[in-house]
Amino acid sequence: MANEPYFTPDSDVPLPPPDADQFTTCCDYCVVACGYKVYRWPVGSKNGGPQAAENALGVDFPRGPLKGGFISPNMHNIVTADGKKQHVIVVPDKDSKVVNRGGDHSIRGGCIAQKCYNPDTPTRDRLQYPMMRINGKLERISWDDATDIFAEMANYVIEKYSESAYAQKQYSYQYFENNYALTKLAWRHIHTPAHAFHDNPGHAPDTPGFRDAGIDNFSASYDDWYEADVVFLSGTDPFETKTIIWNEYMMRGTMEHGQKQIFVNPRRTSGADYAVKNGGLHLQLIPGTDTVLHMALARVILENGWEDKKWLAKFPPANKWESDSGFGRGIRDTPWQWRTTWGKVQTKGFEDYKAWILSQKESELDFAAELCGLPKEQIVKAAELMAKPRPDGTRPKLSVGIEKGNYWTNNYSNTASIASLGLICGAGNRPGQMISRLGGHQRGGNSGGSYPRSKGPEKFFGRRRMTLNLDKWLENGHVRMAYVVGTTWVGSMSASQSLQESMTKLTRGNPAQISKNDKAHALEVMKERVDSGGTMMVVQDIYLREPIGSELADFVFPAATWGEEAFVRSNGERRMRIYDKFYDAPGEAKPDWWIVGQIGQKMGFPGFDWKTSNDVYEESMRGNRRGRRDYAVFLKYAKKAGKSGHDFLRELGTQGIQTPVREEDGKILGTKRFHDSTLELPHTGPEKLTWMHKIFKSFKTQTGRPHLLKSPWFIFADFFDAIKPKGEELWVSSGRINEVWQSGFDDVQRRSYITQRWPENILEIHPEDAKARGIESGDMVEAYSDRVAVQTGGFIHRTLEDAMYTGLLKNGHIEFKSASVELVAMVTDSVRKGTTFSICLMNPKRAVNALSPSVTDPMSGNYRFKLGVGKVRKIGESPYKKDLAQMTFVDRTFS
Amino acid sequence: MSSEFKILETDSDGEGRACQLSRRRFLQAAGVGGATLAMLTVPGCGTLMARTARLPSKRLASLADLEVDKPVTVMYPDPKSMCMLVKLGVPAGGGVGPDGDVVAFSMSCPHMGMTMIGAYNAKHKGMGPCPSHLSRFDLTRYGIVVSGHATQSLPQVLLEVKEGEIYATGLRGLLYGRNGNLG
Repeated sequence: MANEPYFTPDSDVPLPPPDADQFTTCCDYCVVACGYKVYRWPVGSKNGGPQAAENALGVDFPRGPLKGGFISPNMHNIVTADGKKQHVIVVPDKDSKVVNRGGDHSIRGGCIAQKCYNPDTPTRDRLQYPMMRINGKLERISWDDATDIFAEMANYVIEKYSESAYAQKQYSYQYFENNYALTKLAWRHIHTPAHAFHDNPGHAPDTPGFRDAGIDNFSASYDDWYEADVVFLSGTDPFETKTIIWNEYMMRGTMEHGQKQIFVNPRRTSGADYAVKNGGLHLQLIPGTDTVLHMALARVILENGWEDKKWLAKFPPANKWESDSGFGRGIRDTPWQWRTTWGKVQTKGFEDYKAWILSQKESELDFAAELCGLPKEQIVKAAELMAKPRPDGTRPKLSVGIEKGNYWTNNYSNTASIASLGLICGAGNRPGQMISRLGGHQRGGNSGGSYPRSKGPEKFFGRRRMTLNLDKWLENGHVRMAYVVGTTWVGSMSASQSLQESMTKLTRGNPAQISKNDKAHALEVMKERVDSGGTMMVVQDIYLREPIGSELADFVFPAATWGEEAFVRSNGERRMRIYDKFYDAPGEAKPDWWIVGQIGQKMGFPGFDWKTSNDVYEESMRGNRRGRRDYAVFLKYAKKAGKSGHDFLRELGTQGIQTPVREEDGKILGTKRFHDSTLELPHTGPEKLTWMHKIFKSFKTQTGRPHLLKSPWFIFADFFDAIKPKGEELWVSSGRINEVWQSGFDDVQRRSYITQRWPENILEIHPEDAKARGIESGDMVEAYSDRVAVQTGGFIHRTLEDAMYTGLLKNGHIEFKSASVELVAMVTDSVRKGTTFSICLMNPKRAVNALSPSVTDPMSGNYRFKLGVGKVRKIGESPYKKDLAQMTFVDRTFS
Repeated sequence: MSSEFKILETDSDGEGRACQLSRRRFLQAAGVGGATLAMLTVPGCGTLMARTARLPSKRLASLADLEVDKPVTVMYPDPKSMCMLVKLGVPAGGGVGPDGDVVAFSMSCPHMGMTMIGAYNAKHKGMGPCPSHLSRFDLTRYGIVVSGHATQSLPQVLLEVKEGEIYATGLRGLLYGRNGNLG
């Protein structure tokens, strides 16, 4: 037995002296973006002391419970700044009045100091120099050669094979400045449709049902999650993935005014356990059945007359004519599926919606209980909590929060049906009564141009084009050059092993391989590669990720990141803040905007000669007028004060400002929530630069009214029936986990404490399923399948029926492939019998997306990432079964 | 620097786990702190040095007094730090006694400092959920976070047994609220 854990933290921390340098930043990871302070002072100079006057925090040590200001050993690191070794302390801002009030924090943010590059820690493998694969090995080259080759090859490919042969796969969130620069290159100047963000095969909407209902994804403010009496949480547990929304808003809501949560999730999580113990509910449904649950809930509410009649009279949902005008976007901008599904999802208003719900067999309690695997009483109880008026006639304030478990199983129908359900309960446009995503990554997606949707090759009747599916586009051999920025691409997409095979064939499998460290030779070989149908792959990241960087890339560009450059980003309540630079990036690593600047200039495009990050920040304002991140007014006031945008934002510290930014009576104002019927706007109209967005007070539709949508089960049913487990098979679903959430790129290999907790990915399996297979906690298991449905071909005119699973199969667009993933078993009754759970994307070698089908939602083009299916067998024992130094197999929800 | 300071050299097999503290960082750290230091060797890491503080030894209880799953409250390293001594009934990392199952941990949650009174879970050999924010810890595995928000394991009291008496000799990790365990 080991006598020491894998990681032993220091048992003291140096305190920053009063004259330590101070910086403002936020956590780099999840969407909540807690505010942090950074203190920095040179190694070798005097440390601070425990009295308030002796340290930069200005507080006495020791610190009392819940006081904030405690510096745990993982909040300390040593970095190089201004060319010398310096201590840094990255500590939650104890003075914060917003987001993480009082210095609350997650394990991820609390360990974020360990993210900083320090050659004496596991971060020593940060990418530091541009590299080219020569004879199979990545070797250092100069930035000049690297960007020369990129620019010449990009121009060559565009000229010879068209801009659609140049692909860009990138994150959507890694700061305003970088996103702006990258999309300015791809969209505004190259104008390629072969573009996709990290979590999507194309430009499919995340939440198409919200969009069609007129609900902005990030309409709520965090205070709404506190004010609600009941929160309906679908496909997410904020305890696991939105720590501070849970701790400081929902859990506080329960403790202070009895808020109840209804969790809808196939897995019992800590939040669900807490909810049940405090008067809420956990609806532990079968994966993929949410739409039917939503319809059944709506039916119980309507049959009992519990809908919010007063609200529905005051804000009547759109009628036939308003629906027919294209879900509020006008004919030209309507989504493509609107024409192909004429009348299938639109309603003529409340009565029409009600009649439809009451006519559907799927909304019947017996049917829904059977399909969802839930007791009938639980569905009725949930409907009561959500909508039943109290004896005095008042109603519970209901808010609805959703995430990936909802919209990555049945993309269109889940989001449409939950929007309708929330709306009939009077949620959507009032304090404490909102419908919103809770969020995944932070919001940094500033656009540098318009995505050229019209160039998509898939076309429906009428003028509607579907956005290009980049995975299919690549697998069909249309991508000659790919620029991959800050994403693993392979493991993060569905049927990932099949995708990897295609990529390997197009890169390493092509005979044209660079064999000399010579620019002319490299260009010659890369031209030979693309002319022979292969793909040149350029990967830009902070670490060499597997397999995209380590095996597939021909060129690797090192990026500078959080703390190494000043950046700006928003969180899940649109709060815009500065993430300051406080140390030097390793080697020759550069911020993404700088690298794109070099490429853009060398390709001959104007407007890529930015000198500073602030230059890009100020320019990117123009691309975001009228949007969720509109900060034109903010920059106007910065200019008036004689300050740069970054400097002006620095002054707002961790408070920042909620966008869109407005001005009233000569003062600058943030916007707390969207669709806010209680918001008072000046009767005289908007002042000066302020853009008076319709969504400040109304829904995001043409008329400003909400749309009630139908969600016919048949659109999904054929796929669901085909894909669901048969015989020995189990659902192999995936999700997120508190300790590794939006932080996997740093955590699993590089933050030692997290490495101790999660050295490997797990498969949670129900005790009965485990017993039947002879599996115990700590065993190595294999989840495998020989029927992973992979969508192929396409790019033709289609009807809705052609795009549905049955149509795809009939027309030869489905292939069944094999895939296998090895995981460490964790036996727990937290998961339903028949359902297993694994962590999404924790380890590139253990990406369970290998088992999820890459068949897209016919309504939106998005994947159903969560619906993996496979058989499970024991293959041995992991070292963690008996070695106590790493990992744990204790139930995450014990109490 | 303490006179107990010494370095143990072992060979690395070159393919082990990433070591959390290199010698260089250790020496850097050692130069600025006053804590006594313990050297560790972990397979695959070569020499691994961690700043596990040895603190004044204190008798906590007799082995004979402990019953399985009946935790005892003890104060260590000073009267302001409430800890829990427990015989788990199953072998545990850092466990002492004939069955290697006697362990002691701080009762202050390392996330925000709430005292976890009555939070020992006999079925799961865990501590938690913390009443403030629901963090949970596995006492068989050095107090590691099972789920929750703490940025380190539950600080573990290092134990020794001499003639049936259990002594606390130090702490692994930093007690909540302090900048040093004797703070």
